[in-house]
Amino acid sequence: MSELIRPDTIEEATQFLVSHPDARVLAGGATLIAMRNAGLVEMSHLVSLSGIHDLQGIEKTPKGIRIGAMTRHCETAGCDLLTGSLAVVRQAAGMIANRPVRNMGTMGGAVSNADPAADYLPALACVDAIATIAGPDGRRDVAITEFVEDWYETALGEGEILVSITLPLARDEPSLYRKVARVTGDYATASCAMAMDGDAVRVAIGACGPGPIRDTDAEEELRGNLANPDAVSAFAARLAGLADPIDDVRGSAEYRLALIPRLIRAGLKMMQTAEVAK
Amino acid sequence: MTRKTLLTLTLNGEDTDVATQGTVTLLETLREDMGVLSVKRGCNQGVCGSCTVVIDGAPVRSCLTLSAMCEGRDLRTIEGYEADRTMKCLQKHLIESGGIQCGFCTSGVLLSAQTYLTENASPNRAEVKSALSGNLCRCTGYRTIVDAVCDAAEELAQ
Repeated sequence: MSELIRPDTIEEATQFLVSHPDARVLAGGATLIAMRNAGLVEMSHLVSLSGIHDLQGIEKTPKGIRIGAMTRHCETAGCDLLTGSLAVVRQAAGMIANRPVRNMGTMGGAVSNADPAADYLPALACVDAIATIAGPDGRRDVAITEFVEDWYETALGEGEILVSITLPLARDEPSLYRKVARVTGDYATASCAMAMDGDAVRVAIGACGPGPIRDTDAEEELRGNLANPDAVSAFAARLAGLADPIDDVRGSAEYRLALIPRLIRAGLKMMQTAEVAK
Repeated sequence: MTRKTLLTLTLNGEDTDVATQGTVTLLETLREDMGVLSVKRGCNQGVCGSCTVVIDGAPVRSCLTLSAMCEGRDLRTIEGYEADRTMKCLQKHLIESGGIQCGFCTSGVLLSAQTYLTENASPNRAEVKSALSGNLCRCTGYRTIVDAVCDAAEELAQ
């Protein structure tokens, strides 16, 4: 049986992690405790971050909207700072699992776990979120699009924890998160996050590779051409070309590839016909 | 060997001392050490909802919650709602609609429904389905459960 450690500060947590390599960071527990119960992970200690004040809450700063790593999905799903171009993040939070799990799971836990089929990463990628990481050598910022390095591998090094996610300030333009899932609340078979940016659209695809798929060059080529079906198809084909989907219980790789253009076309249509609440 | 720790848990309004080990779950503590058997161990992975308890007013999974993190918090199981009007009404409609069969999921369903009706007193059918989507039932096919919650909401609104 592992022991529970409850540090009061980020520094205490990272110091403990450096000196105890078999310890695991505990955020909301929605995934880690389930994995432990199933015998999939073992640890010497669980280092709970729930007592660290600096990791809590959502606030507006001059740099943007800062979401503390221990912010629960239910808070993010109900946050009225996340409107317009940032509504995509609020929508993604509200589509995670079900109410009891949204009352437990956290932004930092979900992002650090980097499940390719989970909801936050594509939403954060399409709004150019920044992850702030703390570790034994201090703090550093990493673009969320650089955060996932491979399947379930992230930029987090030994002794490091995710402190917060910072989003740029909201623009008064629509954004949208949609996923294809077998039932409500399941992980995505494929997902699509998009945000209008003037006459361009920012798009990230989820569950079709180790991390969210984005191509800013392709987005610039599509600028001003969103109503042109051929241009949209070419854009979707570019993103599908970057995908590396797998076959699993939620769908085949082939099916996932077929979903990408459909999600993009349907999403663009929804945003242009103002079916999306800003 | 992990040493045992003495915790004081506030269950259904009463403080109870219980000895636990490091990172045991609230589900284990409730069932094994406190004899609260209305909280069911189904999947033990946070999927089925049969272990649902209410902590500080919010429904959560007791199988994913560590007992040592529950001190000073208001823990409620179905036994804590004996005098609750909403719960009484939900129970009555669940029986009338046939939303109870084997009963394994029932405590969790009732706690999810009670806390949801506290947040949203007049939900539509789709909202009820969404609110109960974290509680699996292998008997009823759900229709009778959703009927019961909708009927209870209607009666309570009168």
